[in-house]
Amino acid sequence: MQNIISALFQYQFIANAFWAALLISVAAGLIGSYVVARRLVFLSGGITHASFGGIGIAYYLGLNPILGAAVFAVLSAFGVEALSQKMDVREDSAIGMLWSVGMAFGIFFVYLTPGYSPNLMSFLFGSILTVTSQDILMLLALNVVMVIFFILFYRAILYLAFDEGFAKTQGVPVRTFSYILKGFIALTIVLSIRMVGIILLISLLTIPPTIANIFTKKFNHIMIISILIGFVGALIGLIMSFGMNVPSGATIIIALVGMFAIAKLISYIFVKVKRNALSV
Amino acid sequence: MAKILEIVSASVGYNHNTVLKDVNLEVNDNDFIGVIGPNGGGKTTLLKLLLGDLKPFKGEVKYYPLAPNETLFGYLPQVANIDKRFPITVLDVVLSGLMGRKGLSGRYNSRDKRLAMDMLKRVGVEEISNKAIGELSGGQMQRTFLGRALIAHPRLLILDEPNTYVDNSFEKELYALLQELNKEMAIIMVSHDMGTITSHVKTIACVNRHLHYHRSNMITSEQLASYDCPIQIIAHGPVPHTVLSDHNK
Repeated sequence: MQNIISALFQYQFIANAFWAALLISVAAGLIGSYVVARRLVFLSGGITHASFGGIGIAYYLGLNPILGAAVFAVLSAFGVEALSQKMDVREDSAIGMLWSVGMAFGIFFVYLTPGYSPNLMSFLFGSILTVTSQDILMLLALNVVMVIFFILFYRAILYLAFDEGFAKTQGVPVRTFSYILKGFIALTIVLSIRMVGIILLISLLTIPPTIANIFTKKFNHIMIISILIGFVGALIGLIMSFGMNVPSGATIIIALVGMFAIAKLISYIFVKVKRNALSV
Repeated sequence: MAKILEIVSASVGYNHNTVLKDVNLEVNDNDFIGVIGPNGGGKTTLLKLLLGDLKPFKGEVKYYPLAPNETLFGYLPQVANIDKRFPITVLDVVLSGLMGRKGLSGRYNSRDKRLAMDMLKRVGVEEISNKAIGELSGGQMQRTFLGRALIAHPRLLILDEPNTYVDNSFEKELYALLQELNKEMAIIMVSHDMGTITSHVKTIACVNRHLHYHRSNMITSEQLASYDCPIQIIAHGPVPHTVLSDHNK
C-alpha cells in the first residue's frame, strides 16, 4: 500500500492535486461556513463569475490568469458595496450585474486573444491537472493567513456575522472585518478555480457547511466538520476524475452532493429512531 | 448623577434625507426614558444616533468618559431583525454581550461562561443554554437577547420594543427587573405600548421628526398634540397605570 502511495506521489500532478484538495478544503471550509451563516451565497457566486473577466484580460495581455482573476474577484467583492451604497443600486442587482459583466469581459478577451485560445473548459469546469506548484504555494500562504485570522478573531467573526448592529455597539470595527472577510472569500474562490472551475465553485463553499449544519449548530464545529467533509469530497471527486477522465469540478460536486444526501438520510433515520424510542 | 451622553442640536438621517431635525437630549445615570412616537417618526433613527451607528449631518453626540473596563451600551434590538436560522447557541449569544470588554481577540474562560449561565438564569432560560436560537420561541429569544444586553452590566441599557413577543408572565418579570436594574443603570426604552411606558418610565421622549422631552411620566393628549406626536391615547386615569387608548382593547 505504502509503495503504491509513494509511487503515486512521484507523479507531480497527483501530489499537487492532493495538496490542492487539502488546502482548498481548509480555506473553503472556513470561509464557506461564514458565507452560509451570513447568507452571502449570491455575493460569492457573483465574485466567482466576475473573476472570469480577469482571466480573459490576463490571457489577452499574456499575464498569469490567476492573478487577473484575483484582481477582478477582490475588486468585485468590494465593488458591490460601493455600487449599492454610492450609486444607489440595490445590492442583489449590483451582484447580478457584476456576475454577467465579468463573464462578458472574460469571453470578449479570450476571443480577441490571437493564436492559441486557452482551454476554456478547464476554467469553467475545473481540471486538477492544471494545478501548478506555484498555485500550491499561493494556497498555502492564504491558508496560513486565514487560519491565524480565524483562530485569533473567532468570537468577533461569529458575533459580527450573527448581529452586525450589536457588534457595532460593542466597539467591533465591523466594516474593516467585513472587508477582510470579503477579501478572503474572493481569494479562496480564485485559488479554487483550477480545481472545481467557475461554474461549479459555489457548491464547494456551500455544501460542506450545509452538511455540517445538519449535525451541529455550533459555528466552530461547523467550520471543522466542513473542512473534513470538503476534503473527503475532494478526494473522492479527484479519484473519480482520474479514473473516468471527467473534469474534477463535476466529480467533486457530485461527491459532495452524494454526501449531503447520505447525511440527510442518516439524520432522518436518527430522528425517527429517537422518536420511536420515545413513543415506546 | 453623572452625564452619560448628550445629543446637541443634531440632525440625522439617511443619504441626506433628514429624518430627525435639531434633536437635543441629555442622558444621565439612573434615567429611565420612554421613547414614543408614530411609525416612521424616527424612533429607530434616534437609537442609531445614540449608539453611534449614524453620524449626525449637523450637531454632535458627546460621550462622557467611562470607568476603566466599563461597557457603555447594552442593546436589545428588535427581535424581528435577527436571522433565526443562524447557527449559534443561546450561551454564545449571551457571551457575545461581553465582546466590548473582551476586545477583538479575547478568549472566553470558565468564569465568563459561569457569568453567562448566571445571566441566563436571571432571565429564565438557563435550561436551554445549548439550544440553537432557531429552536426558541419568541419569548425565549427575547429573554436571551435581554441577557446579552445585560451581561456586561452596561452603563446605559437601550431596549427597542422589548415587549413584542413576550408572554404575560415574563412581561411582569421584565418590568420588575427593569425597575431593579434602573438603580444601577440608565435605561432608554422604545415602545408602542403607551400603558407600559407611562407606568414604568420616569420621563418621556416624543419622537416625530423632532424630539420633545417631557420630564415626567404623566402625559396628556393635549401635551401629545402640542408635541405633534400623534399617539393613540385619550387620557390618563386617576392612577398612572390606567391609560386609555382609543383602540378597542
